[in-house]
Amino acid sequence: MDKSKKNTGTNIKQILHAYGTIIALIAVILLFSIISPGSFFTLTNFINITRQISLLVMISIGATMVMSINEFDLSVGSMASLGGIMAALLAVNGMPMILCFLIPIVISFVIGWINGWIVAKFRVLSFITTLGMSTVLSGVIYRLSGGATIFENIPKSFSWLGTTRLGRIPLLSILMIVAVVIFWYLMRHTALGRKLYAIGGNEETAKISGINVKKYKNIAFAICAVMACITGMLIASRVGSANTTAGDGYFLQSYAAVFIGCTASRKGVPNVAGTLIGAAILGVLANGLTMLQIPTYMQDIITGGIIIFAVIAQKLGRGDSK
Amino acid sequence: MLLRTEKLSKQFSGIYALKDINFQIAAGEIHGLVGENGAGKSTLIKMLTGVYQTEEGDIYWEDKKVKIMNPSQSRNLGINVVHQDRTLIPTFDGVENAYLGREYPHRGIQVSWKEMRQRVEKVRDQLGIDIDLSRLASELSPPQKTCLEIIRAMMNDCKLLILDEPTASLTDKESEILFDIIGKLKERGTSVLYVSHRMDEIFRLTDRVTVFKNGSMVSCMRTEDVNRNELVSMMADEWSGEGIKHNTSFGNVLLEAKNIQTQDGIMKNGTIQAHEREILGVFGLGGSGRTELLEAIYGYRPMKSGTVEIAGEKQEKLSPANSIKKGMILISEDRRGKAIIEGLSVKENILLSSIDAYSKYFHIDEKKEKADVQDKSNALNIKMTGMNQRVLELSGGNQQKVVFARALMTDPKVFLCDEPTQAVDIMTRSEIHKLLRKKADEGNAVVYVSSDIKEILEVADTIQIVAQGETRNKLKNENLTAKEVLSYCYEDA
Repeated sequence: MDKSKKNTGTNIKQILHAYGTIIALIAVILLFSIISPGSFFTLTNFINITRQISLLVMISIGATMVMSINEFDLSVGSMASLGGIMAALLAVNGMPMILCFLIPIVISFVIGWINGWIVAKFRVLSFITTLGMSTVLSGVIYRLSGGATIFENIPKSFSWLGTTRLGRIPLLSILMIVAVVIFWYLMRHTALGRKLYAIGGNEETAKISGINVKKYKNIAFAICAVMACITGMLIASRVGSANTTAGDGYFLQSYAAVFIGCTASRKGVPNVAGTLIGAAILGVLANGLTMLQIPTYMQDIITGGIIIFAVIAQKLGRGDSK
Repeated sequence: MLLRTEKLSKQFSGIYALKDINFQIAAGEIHGLVGENGAGKSTLIKMLTGVYQTEEGDIYWEDKKVKIMNPSQSRNLGINVVHQDRTLIPTFDGVENAYLGREYPHRGIQVSWKEMRQRVEKVRDQLGIDIDLSRLASELSPPQKTCLEIIRAMMNDCKLLILDEPTASLTDKESEILFDIIGKLKERGTSVLYVSHRMDEIFRLTDRVTVFKNGSMVSCMRTEDVNRNELVSMMADEWSGEGIKHNTSFGNVLLEAKNIQTQDGIMKNGTIQAHEREILGVFGLGGSGRTELLEAIYGYRPMKSGTVEIAGEKQEKLSPANSIKKGMILISEDRRGKAIIEGLSVKENILLSSIDAYSKYFHIDEKKEKADVQDKSNALNIKMTGMNQRVLELSGGNQQKVVFARALMTDPKVFLCDEPTQAVDIMTRSEIHKLLRKKADEGNAVVYVSSDIKEILEVADTIQIVAQGETRNKLKNENLTAKEVLSYCYEDA
């Protein structure tokens, strides 16, 4: 059935299949450039967009890892919020800046590991497990912060990571590029990536082939949580305060980016380059629509529609729509 | 005659699964159906129950010619089947399960649970079955589940009940309950088609018995006119492995598994031993536990007790990864489910078991990988457009070669092969046989599971019999015939 589809497929179809996602990104950029050339199509705005999507990209590449093993981590949003809160609290209490950022990373690693351990050990749905973890983390956030935004007595150095620019380029954009390159390499060219994709492709086969499925599930969830935590800390650093729900909005957006990213791969699997394109599409849309003063609710409708479309496209791309 | 078939045949892509079957069941008769794996028993059942449609030959029901187009039509005639793999919904209670696929009685727009319960209870009491209908199917014991399936089958006017290996998952004691019910059915005048590998049940229960072999009907006779040996020899071919050269001198013991008991209880007591240069055939009928034994030895299926030694070294912690490290590999029978990853490429599939071998400090030697994959796929003659082709697009035979290529990448000493030639073409089949013989001659051990007795006689040097969750006799493959091998399987414990 797969073969016949291939043979009858026209050239245009094949091109769309292979490059459809990138074409969509270019189309969106062109559209806004034509509508508002003065404000959208400028170098300043493009640099701005890279900074705007940098946080989304970083949380999304962690989610990409968990999705590559066919699991979900719904706790990334609250993990990010918790990361920001933890870093800010440590900074307020006079902890050396390096530790303010390192300690939350270690804690998030442990939390992610627990997620993975529960999912792998008890073979339960990651969907529900991480939803539960998300609620637990929200409770912890409340306990730590008392429910209030943390902004008083935060040292100035706390904001360095989130606000520094190297020339015209924001540090955040550079961090994003570094993270993308590292994760792209990890997933494409290391044993870790190979094993994760094997587990995502068929867990039983992976196990029989000698891959320690449980261990790699733990690793995927742990790294995902760390990326969420880093994202949350950078959000706090950028705005100079830690909000109890700062990361929540990133959760849905990140999975949207991953799903759009799947359509950029020939196999229809989550991949880092695709996720970057997915986040870029979402970022450009948000930037352009805001510029055109389209109301937020319209932006939501458009974004939601794109997510649904991407999921369908991903399924069709995989060729296993049963 | 309740049911009669005339020249009933069924072919799949040109090969006959059933050929010219003239089969009869009288009203009120318990009729046994026997034959080895692949003899055509299941095909006949599927044709009578409307899963397969009749294209050649005729079916007569109560002396009228009928065309059975679908399962519900078969049910309306009065044919019901209880399958070996149970079809109850675990979260439904007895009443609802009995009503599966049947119109619920209504009072207005409301389902009349009371009426449902009364109807099911009536059938239950008529059959003299003692089971609590308010319990969920998941809470029932295996024989209770079988009883519930029989109740469901008897809910409408059932004239022919087909029981397909009904005792496969029951203990002897539990089987007795079932035999009582069959007795009651007979009193009521219901005909039963009883399909079983277990000879003592056939002799105990049935009035007549029909023997299938290779898709043909060999014989039909009154059960009292035949004895066990005659029946078994009718099922088996005269075919023997004579003329094919087998190894008789082996080296040291490479694999020794003792008293393996799986956690799910399917394999109860398995002991096997394989030597250097030996191809050990493992033969058992469906449900005997052969696959479970292999998977447990390999460390994939949880084991309750037992020990595994590879080359004299006891395996402390059983897992697929440890087995591979010690030089033991499993070729699984479930190709799509456990052996390949359809979405990945040929290359990625071949490398699955040796990812770490090419990886050092976060770097994979992709050049060497490619060269080695190319080597292995050339050696095994895998037909593909390139090593980046998705494995899903390959034929069954080539997919199996990919699985073997992956095994060879780990340089194993012990090959555990579970139905390695299942659903592959004849060419590939003989290539796989040659490959394994070569590997054995090089001083490795091969454990070869097949449900095809001829294949076992063709390939194996020694034959281990597995029956009813236990390993039994180990035979030398010298002048053995299929008949002899089968007779060991049908022997009672």
